Amino acid sequence: MERSVSDRNILDKFCEDFCKIIEKHCKYIIVSGFVAIASGRTRGTEDIDMIIEKLDLKKWKNLFEDLKKRGFICMQTNQAEDSFKYLKDKTSIRFTRKDLELPEMEIKFSKDLLDEYQIKTREKLHLTKLDVWFSNINMNIAFKEELLKSPKDLEDSRHLRIVYSEKVNEKEINNIKALIRKWRL
Amino acid sequence: MRTAHQEQIERWALFVKNNPNSWKKTHTRFIDAIFAKHYQFRKELLKTPHGKEKLKELYLIKNVEGYSWLK
Repeated sequence: MERSVSDRNILDKFCEDFCKIIEKHCKYIIVSGFVAIASGRTRGTEDIDMIIEKLDLKKWKNLFEDLKKRGFICMQTNQAEDSFKYLKDKTSIRFTRKDLELPEMEIKFSKDLLDEYQIKTREKLHLTKLDVWFSNINMNIAFKEELLKSPKDLEDSRHLRIVYSEKVNEKEINNIKALIRKWRL
Repeated sequence: MRTAHQEQIERWALFVKNNPNSWKKTHTRFIDAIFAKHYQFRKELLKTPHGKEKLKELYLIKNVEGYSWLK
């Protein structure tokens, strides 16, 4: 992947460092705002959203301890067992680098077939110059237009439609929107 | 009717698409500036009464062990 180190911003470095650790333990995807921002959208964000495969407590503990060892802190608790309870309750948990409250990585377990499908169809996006797995572009556009719908999300979607015009598949987007209506609305 | 803001989003998106090797430099400066501003603000807020408490509340930090400036 062609890039120079100075091209990487604070969010890029944080995301790549974090994902490198997660990748050793499970499959993950980066979703929502950071997909658009990493693809050039000029707006701020304080957090990056990640969905990971559902793990049992033992596997989660290994991951949690690995993150701690490598300088990432869970904002809610220092205990793997406690953080696992949040995830089981479908509440996200948030990690930052030690001593820095921003940016943060917000993690959730995959919660339904739609999330599993997102993980199955994940992709790397060359334009971002990041070695990170993203939820695919059609999926992101569908979520932003059908579920999230805020002005910011609709602008993100417009941006993605232009920069990835060759990847945009209206039939696929409409199929995903139908799944969102069935599973999430 | 399309607003100037929407037009700007589209112009920039086209620039990113058509300049895959040069958009990133400008973008990186923009993103890094946001965080630089935040940390400058945090430094000032910590000098004020209840600055620590305000930051804890703002960022919903329960695990203070991870943030030495909160101790």
